[in-house]
This record gives sequence, structure tokens and C-alpha cells, in this order.
Amino acid sequence: MKQLMRFATDYAGYVLKGGAKFYIWMACLAALIVGMMYVFYLQNTDGLIVTGMTSQIHDGLYFANLVFLVGVAAGAVTIVFPAYVYHHEGMHKVTVLGEMLAISAVIMVTMFVFAHMGRPDRLWHMIPIIGIYSLNSMLGWDVLVLMGYLLLNIICGFYYLWVKYTGREVNKTFFMPLVYISIVWALTIHTVTAFLISTMPARPMWFHSMMPIRFITTAFAAGPCLIILAFLIIRNNTKMWIEDSAIKLLATIITWCLGIAIFLTLSEVVVELYLRTEHANGLYYLMFGLHGLTRLVPWFWASAILMVGAFFLFLMPSVRNNMKLLPIPCVMAFCGIWIEKGMGLIVPGFIPSPIGEVTEYYPTFVEILMTVGIWAFGFFILTILLKGAIGILQGEIKYGGQAVAAK
Amino acid sequence: MNANETPPTTEPPSASLAPSASANPADYPAARAPTTSRRSFLKAGGMLSLSSLMGAGALMTQSGEAHAAAEWAEHFQKNYRLMTDAEKDEARQRLERRYSQEYEKPVTVDITGPQPGVLMGYALNVRKCIGCRRCVKACVAENNQSRGERPGERIEWIQVLRMERGEFSEDKMDHGYPEGLGIQVGGNAYTPAGQVLEGQYHYTPEAVPEKDATYMPIACMQCEKPPCVKVCPVRTTYREGDGPVVIDYNWCIGCRMCMGACPYWARRINLTTPVLPKADMNPVTHYLGNRPRMRGVVEKCHWCLQRTRQGRYPACVEVCPVGARKFGNLLDPNSEVSLILARKNVFRLKAEMNTFPKFFYFYD
Amino acid sequence: MMKKSVLHTIFIALVALGGGALITACSDHSAPPAAPATQEQAQATPPEPTPEAAAPQEAKEVVCFESRQGGATDIIQHEIQPGLLNVKCSPTTSAALWYGDPYADTVPMGKMPLLESIPDDKAVVRPRSEKLNLLAMCGTACHNNTLPPADRVPPTLPKNNHPAPIPTMEGMLPEIANLQHGRGRIWCLECHHTTQRNMLVDHFGDPISFDQPQLLCGKCHGDKLRDWRDGIHGKRIGEWASTGKKRWFVCTECHNPHNVQDGERNRGFIQLQPETPPQLPHGMVDADYEKLHPIPH
Repeated sequence: MKQLMRFATDYAGYVLKGGAKFYIWMACLAALIVGMMYVFYLQNTDGLIVTGMTSQIHDGLYFANLVFLVGVAAGAVTIVFPAYVYHHEGMHKVTVLGEMLAISAVIMVTMFVFAHMGRPDRLWHMIPIIGIYSLNSMLGWDVLVLMGYLLLNIICGFYYLWVKYTGREVNKTFFMPLVYISIVWALTIHTVTAFLISTMPARPMWFHSMMPIRFITTAFAAGPCLIILAFLIIRNNTKMWIEDSAIKLLATIITWCLGIAIFLTLSEVVVELYLRTEHANGLYYLMFGLHGLTRLVPWFWASAILMVGAFFLFLMPSVRNNMKLLPIPCVMAFCGIWIEKGMGLIVPGFIPSPIGEVTEYYPTFVEILMTVGIWAFGFFILTILLKGAIGILQGEIKYGGQAVAAK
Repeated sequence: MNANETPPTTEPPSASLAPSASANPADYPAARAPTTSRRSFLKAGGMLSLSSLMGAGALMTQSGEAHAAAEWAEHFQKNYRLMTDAEKDEARQRLERRYSQEYEKPVTVDITGPQPGVLMGYALNVRKCIGCRRCVKACVAENNQSRGERPGERIEWIQVLRMERGEFSEDKMDHGYPEGLGIQVGGNAYTPAGQVLEGQYHYTPEAVPEKDATYMPIACMQCEKPPCVKVCPVRTTYREGDGPVVIDYNWCIGCRMCMGACPYWARRINLTTPVLPKADMNPVTHYLGNRPRMRGVVEKCHWCLQRTRQGRYPACVEVCPVGARKFGNLLDPNSEVSLILARKNVFRLKAEMNTFPKFFYFYD
Repeated sequence: MMKKSVLHTIFIALVALGGGALITACSDHSAPPAAPATQEQAQATPPEPTPEAAAPQEAKEVVCFESRQGGATDIIQHEIQPGLLNVKCSPTTSAALWYGDPYADTVPMGKMPLLESIPDDKAVVRPRSEKLNLLAMCGTACHNNTLPPADRVPPTLPKNNHPAPIPTMEGMLPEIANLQHGRGRIWCLECHHTTQRNMLVDHFGDPISFDQPQLLCGKCHGDKLRDWRDGIHGKRIGEWASTGKKRWFVCTECHNPHNVQDGERNRGFIQLQPETPPQLPHGMVDADYEKLHPIPH
């Protein structure tokens, strides 16, 4: 118990100390978070009318980011899996960083859920026993797997850090099953999120069985992109050195997942548009516009160019293995997938409406500020978690000050 | 259905298939008044539920207003279906007090349950519809929808689509599609003749019906296998015993899954606190029906439960100037809908969805 | 020659089915302005028809029309209880949008063949005979020389000894010039009673009340009559149960028999001004895009 208290105080003390760069970064994020809290207040007094959502297009930026971030959270498995299943040396050292990323991504998802709800004050209705929890509902399953994933990552991540902090040995009979569960669980969170929208025959744009695999491939591309970027920042700004082999493995994973994602997208385009039925109107709207309404068309093509461009850059060894150039395709792929899965997948699902009404989505400033604010909050959490984790991994925080060599 | 929920004006529901009751809502407010004392008596008779404790809590915090008390109690209220009859009655009283104060007129909140032997059904003659949108406005007048000016503040449950009749003409004969390599694949069948669900929603001709158009009203189909019910994570929307799919507005968390799952775009979200002028408010309400809603919850057509549970036709049926709308008991072979099913050509919208609507389209 | 005089005799009787349009003409022209105006009045769809010519104009009466505009059936809005109106009207089209009391001003429908089993109080109609009788009086006044009471003199009758133009039948009911009902195969006396101007006529030459036109219409439109009897065709308001009390709308409350066929529309109804369209959602400026070709091919 005393150890636990010390762990908490040591951890907090460590993460709160930093250089000017650290404080500026955190202050910027904090400013955005304050803005986010203000618009959250607006949303819960005025209602969702302050957003661009309508009865026609009732899931917008929030839901899109939610879906995307579930993918990022699931993407953490691209570290855990090679580390524990293939015993990849470089990965094994940084597994816990991936888990920290997953934790912050799931927290962001939760916040987007709150932002998305019309009545966040009634979310307790979903809690079993005091409320009603329906496992008929995909949303019910989604909440279950997301909360489970959050819990698994917190347990795995912090247990590992705790072990490092106290200098004990990892209890494998306790730890390894959890790790393997979390690997499978990562797949379920994104699969269930795909089911969330692909089980609705009312929305033909989403109603096909390719959705889960598309979700997973894009997730395993976007997630590692963010991880590579984080790793490179860590390498350049902290004492922690992340081996090239780990980053290169991630780059390889991204390359093939991105390639498969592009292939799946192209397959869908061909299948839907060859003999275009009314069910393909959503995709048609996305690619070319419908009834002369074309707001999403530039987004789609931007996303296509970013993703395909990133794929070719990843294919080039001179880029893939160059740690200076690598961030470029990573950012491109990350943005491309964010568009594709966000605005490019959720919004056109509502255009046209099931009875054929075509309207467009005009996100408001409130909505954008909320989205940015939640991302800022996520990065805030991520910074803290990564900083603490790095401190422990580097042996800068340890119990009783006794020197324990990092494994 | 418990007898002591039924207002005394209503005949015992088992008496007949048709709760002939007071179809005249003019009777309600006056007729309801005496029941209050009976209810208070029941309440005094020792119902100490969680919510009443909460209500008491609200009183103790000096917010004496019915509004505040009701709102406070509502935060802790159970799902309507899980409430005991006593709790339902209590919720009803609380809401009646609150709404009466808020809208400055006697408001009744009905909690009449499904009548035995009734399965409500609806039929609409698409050939007759002239697209006048009177049903849309009648629905708003009856069901206390929001009617503000800001975009998103005006809610209508019925949509009327105007669809072009289309035409085949000789001068379009060679406008084929597509013409790759000089080979024409299609002909002028691409003119929208008889196209379904590609209609106009905002048509504003001087007069309807127009010669070159047909009209198709769409609202909640009250499916027998409703996708919206299945996707609801808190089971706040469900199918009532007599057919309609309803929503407990107080339990809805506003996640909008149901809106995504509905193939008929029947559901609307209250983006903000509904704008409902006191004068326009319809004081005859039902708990699961047209009682005023709150911000952030989903609502939809419920076949005017406050009327149909008392025997009255839904509001849209009564105002349709061409008599295209028909409503009745599907279990009664002599009802209008049963006779239509027996005699007319009938179709269900998007039958391929296997939602089994109880809303039928027909034509002569 | 003979035919012409008969036409002249019955023309005013036909006015009866012209309905409220003429009633408006009555009220608006109690002073003798130029007669040709009547024609326009008959054609136009009067926005605020006043039921009684002599009724003093009160503050601002809200009058809604029910199924068809032009005076078939109108309701004057009033409060039946504090806070509860008998009817709500559309502010844009003055159409009846909501019934507080569906049975106002109704009488038992009377026995119909095959509907004898319905108790009297379960099937009611809103009678229009009285309103239409006023016009039928024109016929009796002109041709039988029995003048109505002074306060109910129809405007078509001269008020004094000065010669005034009398509107012709076609002037008052322009659509009968080329009566499309039956495509020219029927004429006035197929439906109107020869001697009793305020009555319709059945197969045996016996009179039928204006409140029961279904007995007349069913002579030809048997399938529609059957559907109407079963509640499949036509409109009813009140209680939905098959045994419930209903107000039945009769044929002429929705259809104008004099112009059921008309080039500019495709159904048997007079064209109406539609209610306002739904609100445009956030961000949308107009709905013009709807009119673009629905699908680009």
C-alpha cells in the first residue's frame, strides 16, 4: 500500500516537472481544453442545435472522430502483437508506450461519446442494474468492448510500469493471459465499431460485410502512423531511445495495411458504381456529388491522393528507412485515413437519407472547437502517460531510489 | 392495463374492441379533474417510491415550483415500462402539474395502456394523395412538436415526397447511356418515370395536385420488427402491445442509433428545447405520445396514442381532405384497414427490409 | 325551343351544387354592384366565405374550409372550452387542420341501404341542405313566384323595379357550359329533381336529399359506393373502431360534381394551395437542388 502511494506521488511529481517546451505544449493543450469545456457547456444548455448536426445528418464530426479513434486505439496492437507473439526485441521495450496510446485513444473516444449524446446527463441509463443495458444493441456491445479494452490496457500498462518501478519480476501467469486477451480484444473493438454502422440495412453505404476488415486495415495503418510520430518525437526529445528496428517494423505494417485498405476501397468503388443502384448514391455523392451538391467531393479526393501517395512513399525504401523523411508519409496516411473514415464514411452514409432526401453537412465552429479540444485533451493525457512511462522505463522513477536496471 | 389508471371517462377497456370512450377530447380536462383527489388518496395510501423521495428532496431544497420538482424527480425516474402502476400514476400527476403550470392551462397526461384485442394498422391510398401537406401540419398541431424559426427547431414527423411522373418522348430516344466506343448501352429509360424515393421535399406549387406529379407521404411505419428498437442501447423505444412503437422520452439518452437504423427516416432529434408556444400547445397528451418533449431526445410518430387509445382517429386521418388515410384495428375483420387488406392492392414501403410495417400503401 | 326553356327553368336549381361559392356571391353583393362580378366570384375560391348573408360582420371570424375550398363545408372557429378550440385552421391556406369536436353541427346520417344496422347516433353527417336550399329558393322564386322573406332575398333577384341584368346559369356556374361529368352524356336532370329544386333524384324519379348524395352518385359509381360504405373510399372522422361513432363525409363534400374532370389536374379533387414545406436543415440555403435531375447518369 505504501508502495502504491509512493508510486502515485513519484509518478505525479515526475510528470509535472518539465522544461519550457513541455510547459508551452501543455499550456496550449490546456487552452484548447478550456475552449472545449465551454462548448460542451453550450451543447448541454442550448442543445445540439449549436452543432451542424440535423435530423437528416445526425452523426457528424463527433461520431466520425469516435470511429477513427477506436481505430487508433486498436492500432496499439501493432506493437503488442509483435512484441509478445513474435518476441520482437525492439518492440518489447516500448510495448507499454503503445498501451498508453491505447488508453488515451479510448479516453478520447469516451469523450466523443459524451459530445455526441443528446443527453449525456442520462448516460447512467446504460449502466447495468441501475439502468438498462441492452446487448441487442451494437452500441451496447461497443461500450462493453471499449470499456474492457480500456481496463485491459490500464491493467497491463500500469502493472508493467509498477513492476518496473518496484523492480520486481513480471508475474507471467497473471500478465501473459491478459496480454493475449488484449491482443484479441483490440480486434474486437474495431470490429464491433464497424458493426455499429454496418448492421443497418437502412444505410446502404455502410451495409456491407467489408466494413470490419476495412476498419481494421485502416486502423492498423493510422494507429502505427501516430505511434511512429510519437516514437520519433520521443527519440528526439527525451533520453529514451527507440530502436530503428521497431519503427521499421511499424512502417512495414503500415505499408501493407494501407495497401490492403486502398485495395478494399477500390473494390468497393468498382462494385458499387459498375451498375450503380440507388444504394450507391452515398458513395456517388462522396465521389462526384449528387443533385449538384458537392461539399464532400474535395475531401474524398484529398483523402484518396493522401492515402495513395503515402502508400507509394512507404513502398520506397529510401523513404521508409529514412527517419527524417518517414514522418511525411505517416502524416499523409494519418490525415488521409482520418478523412476517409471520418467525413468520408460517416457523413455520406446520411446522404441521401433513407427516403432520398439530399442535404449537406455544415459543421459549426462549436463542433470544430469541441473536436479539436477533445484531441487536445487526448494529447494532454497521452503526454502525461508517455512521460511517466518513459521515466519509469528509463529508471528515473523507481521505488526507494534503489537503482534497478531497465530490462 | 390496470383499471385504476384509466380515467373514469373511459369505459372499461375490456368492454369492447373499441374504447368508444370520450372520443371528444373536449371532455378530458374537465373529466380528469375529479380524479386527482382519488389519486392523491392513492398516493397518501403509502406509495413511497424512489421518485417521490426525490420529489420531496426537491421540495426541501426550496424549489417549490412544480417544474423544478418534476425535473428533479425525472432525473431519477425509471424506464416507463419498468414502473409499477403506482409509479406511472405518480409520474403522470407530476407531469400534469408541471405542464399545467408551464403552459398555463389544464394539461392531462394519459397513461392508458394497450387495449386488449387491438392491433393498430394504417393504410394510405397513394393514388388519392394530392400532396397538400395538411396531414403534416395537423400532426404538428396535435403532437406538440417544436415549431421555432432557427434551423432544426421545426420538427415534422410526416414527409410528403413529390415525385415526377416522368415521360418517354421521341426526342429523347437517342439520349442513351453510356456511349463508350460508340456503343449505346441504354435508352431514354433513364428519365425518372415512376421513380420512387427520389422526390422533392420542398415543392411549393400554387396548387396541388399537379398534373405531372404524384405524392408519397412517409412517416413512422410502426414496424412489427422495428430496427430502431433493436439498436436502442437503453431500450427506451419499444413496441407497445397494440402495435405502435413508442419512446419513453425521459429515458432516451439521445444517441441517435435508432435514427440511423430507421429505413424510413421517421425519427427526429430535438436539437434544442422544443419551441412550443403556450397557445398552440395541445393539452390532451399521453405519456408515450404527444406530451412536450425535452432537449436532446428523439421523437417520432406514435399514431396519436393520446387519441387512438381513447378511440379517436389519428389527427392526420381526420384532416386528409381526400380521405386517403385510413386507420383501424387489424384484428377486426370489419375495420377499414382490414377491408383494405382484403380488397385492395397493397404494398409496404421497403418490404425487402423485413421490417413488416403496419403502415400499408394501397391504390384503387 | 322546348329544351332551351327547360334549361332556363332548371338553371337556378343547379346553382345549388355550386355551393358556397355562390353564397359568397350572395353576401358580397347584397348591395347591387355590377352583375358580371358574380362570375368571378363563382370561379374564384373565396378565402373567407360568410355563411349567412345577413349576419353582421363581427371582429374577425376565422373560417376554415374542410375538404374542398369553395364553400362545400366551412367551420367557424370558436372555443368549446377554455383553451380548447373546436377547430384549428391553417394560417396559410385556412384549411381545417385539427378537430377539437369532430361531431359539431352533425345530424344522423339516416338509413342507407345495407347500412341499416348502424345505430343512428353512430353515423352522422354535417348537413348542407339548409345552405343549399337557400339557393334552390331562387328557382322557386323565379318560377313559382313565391318570394322568400325579405331578409333572405338572394342577390340574383332584383331588389327593386329597376331593370338589372340577371346572371345566366353559365355565368354563375361556368363549368356547366361544357359539363365534363359523364363526358357530355348526362345533363342536369340526370341528377337534379325536375320539380323539387332542392332535391336530387334517384332511379325512380324520387327525390334525394342534398345530404345524401351518395344515393345519387352510387347509381353510376357503384364500386365507389361500396368502398365508401365500408370506409375504404372517402373520409370519416371521429372514432376509428368499426363500431365507433363517425362523421361521414358525403360525396359532394370532397368532389364538385360539376367539374370532377378538369385538364389541369389528374384526380377528382379541386386543386388546393399546399401547406408550407418543411424547414431547410442547418446550412442549406434553398431547395433548388431538388429540381436538378435527381440522378446524374
